Amino acid sequence: MSRKPYQPPMPASWWLKHPAYRFYMLREATVVPLLFFVASLLYGLYALGQGEASWLHYLAWLQQPWVIALNSLALVASLFHAWTFFALFPQVMPLRFGSRTLPAWLMVSAQWAGVLLVILALWWLLGGVDAHQ
Amino acid sequence: MHDAVKTLSTDVLVVGGGGAGLRSAIAATEANPKLKVTLLSKVYPMRSHTVAAEGGAAAVTMAHDSLQAHFDDTVAGSDWLAEQGVVDYFVKHAFDELVQLEHWGCPWSRQQSGEVQVRRFGGMKTERTWFAADKTGFHILHTLFQTSLKYPQISRLDEYFVLDLLVHDRHCYGVVAIEIASGELVQIKAASVILATGGAGRVYQFNTNGGIVTGDGMALAYRHGVALRDMEFVQYHPTGLPGSGILITEACRGEGGILLNKDGYRYLQDYGLGPETPPGQPQNKTMELGPRDKLSQAFWHEQQQGRTIQHPQGEVVHLDLRHLGQRFLLERLPFICELAKAYVNVDPVKSPIPIRPAVHYTMGGILTDTNCATSIAGLYAVGECASVGLHGANRLGSNSLTELLVFGKVAGREAARVASESHPAATEALLSSLTEQALTPLKRLHNSNGTERWHELRQQLAESMEQGCGIYRSEAGLQQTLSTLNQLKQSYQQLRLGDTGKAFNTELLHALELGFGLDVAEAMCQAALERKESRGAHQRQEPGLTKRNDEDFLRHSLAFYQTGSAARIEWQAVDTSLSPPAERRYGGQQQPDNPPKESC
Amino acid sequence: MPTLEMRLQRYRPEQDSAPHWQDFRVEYDDSTSVLDALEQIKAEQDSSLSYRWSCRMAICGSCGIMVNGVPKLGCKTFLRDYPKGLQLAPLGNFPVEKDLIVDMSRFLEHLTAIKPYLIAEAAPQGQPHRQTPAQLARYKQFSNCINCGLCYAACPQFGLKPDFLGPAAIALAHRYNLDSRDSGKAERMAQLNSDNGVWGCTFVGYCSTVCPKGVDPAAAVNQGKIASTLDGVIQWFKPAKEPRNKEQSK
Repeated sequence: MSRKPYQPPMPASWWLKHPAYRFYMLREATVVPLLFFVASLLYGLYALGQGEASWLHYLAWLQQPWVIALNSLALVASLFHAWTFFALFPQVMPLRFGSRTLPAWLMVSAQWAGVLLVILALWWLLGGVDAHQ
Repeated sequence: MHDAVKTLSTDVLVVGGGGAGLRSAIAATEANPKLKVTLLSKVYPMRSHTVAAEGGAAAVTMAHDSLQAHFDDTVAGSDWLAEQGVVDYFVKHAFDELVQLEHWGCPWSRQQSGEVQVRRFGGMKTERTWFAADKTGFHILHTLFQTSLKYPQISRLDEYFVLDLLVHDRHCYGVVAIEIASGELVQIKAASVILATGGAGRVYQFNTNGGIVTGDGMALAYRHGVALRDMEFVQYHPTGLPGSGILITEACRGEGGILLNKDGYRYLQDYGLGPETPPGQPQNKTMELGPRDKLSQAFWHEQQQGRTIQHPQGEVVHLDLRHLGQRFLLERLPFICELAKAYVNVDPVKSPIPIRPAVHYTMGGILTDTNCATSIAGLYAVGECASVGLHGANRLGSNSLTELLVFGKVAGREAARVASESHPAATEALLSSLTEQALTPLKRLHNSNGTERWHELRQQLAESMEQGCGIYRSEAGLQQTLSTLNQLKQSYQQLRLGDTGKAFNTELLHALELGFGLDVAEAMCQAALERKESRGAHQRQEPGLTKRNDEDFLRHSLAFYQTGSAARIEWQAVDTSLSPPAERRYGGQQQPDNPPKESC
Repeated sequence: MPTLEMRLQRYRPEQDSAPHWQDFRVEYDDSTSVLDALEQIKAEQDSSLSYRWSCRMAICGSCGIMVNGVPKLGCKTFLRDYPKGLQLAPLGNFPVEKDLIVDMSRFLEHLTAIKPYLIAEAAPQGQPHRQTPAQLARYKQFSNCINCGLCYAACPQFGLKPDFLGPAAIALAHRYNLDSRDSGKAERMAQLNSDNGVWGCTFVGYCSTVCPKGVDPAAAVNQGKIASTLDGVIQWFKPAKEPRNKEQSK
């Protein structure tokens, strides 16, 4: 038989081969620091239920440099993930008006504007709490 | 070397997976769903060269248009060498076929109202060219291919290459082919065979054609005694890119593009196509919307007089689209913008595109009757490889895509009808002896001790056709090319392959294609030599031969294959029963009862 | 004329057990495409080199190839852009048949599986459907796929799981689903809803980057996920007598 197709192997390191794949893996990896953030949040809730001493211990734990570092990483990771997500959004849900599509940059900007609004709203809420104290 | 030959059997075998082949396969299966239909092609169907057609497909559509007008344009465009009964059938069925394609999902460009949009095209009295942006052939081909997947009766042999037809006593019993992937040989028995293998533009140096357009089907039928009709008529498309010959669609001019020589002058007004029309306001059958033969000839004259432009890849003129504006160009001619940027580094929004004529289409082909039947029982031909008689001496742009559909349907229906009838089966002994004969050229190639290389011979063929059998021809030039062809045929016997493998031996395929091309090229030259007049795309330079001569040459040429000597030419009467020959008139010379239509 | 070093992956199935590299040197100018360079090698240096090609103008989809590891059309990639030389290999993720030729049969099976044709109830007799430019614009982009397979070479999910329908096939299904003349969406959703359909995609997005025709298959696949979700919700609320599409496919 003259036909003998050669199936190239797909090595476990396939994702190292190209910047597009590395970027994709980085995007997927943002879940790891976010996992840590969620775990620490759950720990906080648990501590709150256990009484004041436990809560104070939790607050002290939160202020350790390595916890701050990991949570900062989680913040960066979530912003990075948001950035990639927002950029993909116009591809997934294009908004059409007649035969034209809303430009991608406008949709991306609108999403960031939404993020800004949420941050401002939170800041105002938390600021309000401060004022009452 | 090739001992085992597999056998397959089918009812209707279609050779060629382009527009004509796919349309006829679908028509055959719709005519009789019980039949086994096999679509064989040397490439995957969607690679076929129909894919590269850009401008559109013609059919009478607008209220102010008429079948008579489409008929008149086609017959005048053909320089009265079209079969008028065939043209009549064609114009009457064109619209229905384009609608059929619409019902199959073809994304035709639309008007705001949702109705199909039509555009202007060269040599057409009014707008009647349906289009899908500037990728009409691509969309037609993919629509047909995808639609063909709906029919389980149609099986495909993708990447199979036909070596020969199995013909005995003027009856076709099937083909012998190579499975390209494995190099295995296969004998395919069929009750009817449709050749839909496309043109032969690759026998020329500068052409708009894909590498696969090598005249295979023409040569297969020709070698078995079927005449090739009107082979001297080879269409030069006026706008190909320099160097590559890549096609820049006529739709550029239909949408208002203009042609300029080195002085920025619209030279077409000097060649019976004027008066000059304002840029961006094209008028049908005038200036840039003249027929292709006249435009390519005008370039030749400009070049002779030194009024063309020097380009790193040869002499060119300019196709200027700038006045149409970016938005319009991106909507109507997006592919042209992409091609110009990629291949000549020109943005048509900002600069004119350098262009030159390039071989585009073979008007002639395998002689068939109005039912696409050849002189061999059970053998049909359709599309560019065939000469059903639609194009005569010059094809009008946008008639050929419609031809694939109208006559593809006819060929499929007829082949199915014949395959449904009972007919004498060939004995196995006969079939294996025919198969044995069919393998002779292959064995010779494999066992050759020669020194000739396929590539050099092909190069000489293409150069010599360009020199001797180009836009303008003379006896001396044609004789020179014929003598070169003769030498090349000798050398071909000494061809030796560097690749001795069986799997995907593309060198072997190129060598076989070269063999086909040499035979087809010779038919072209011999017919050109004996047509001592100028008509349509065939222009002779000698004094006394520069005009049309209806008295002696209002006839089709028929080239017959002769083993070991040049083609024999016979002449066949033309059907002019509906419209007596008259002068072709374009631009301001048109008859007063047919004034150029105002643009709307 | 300047020359350039080219490294080609060779594989001759009748002799070799695995591919190997071979170096060539080619002449080139500003207009020389990778395809031109291959033709030069085949004509002048090694006539046994095999590759697919035809139209030379980026519309037939034959000449897909890996150029320095990136899926490209050979006819639309120019040597002038690779002054340091280039490495050519057959399209990734497909079985290699010979040299630069891959086996495309799985790709064609996937195309066929999604019923890529108009499924319409009744067409107007003898007349075209009406379709406004806005309706055409909804699917037009996805109808521009030339079936070159570059997106499959770019898709790690296809590489890991060849049964995944893949970018081009799903884009084509989406093209027909979006067509105002079509009513066959329900028939196609069975394939699209399956594990080898839209949910096999993890939105790497590289398929759209390499597409030579701006089709954006990643958009089609991920719009397909929304359609698939909606389809699932609708099926959930439908009376039980109609079998769910997902079951139909099994």
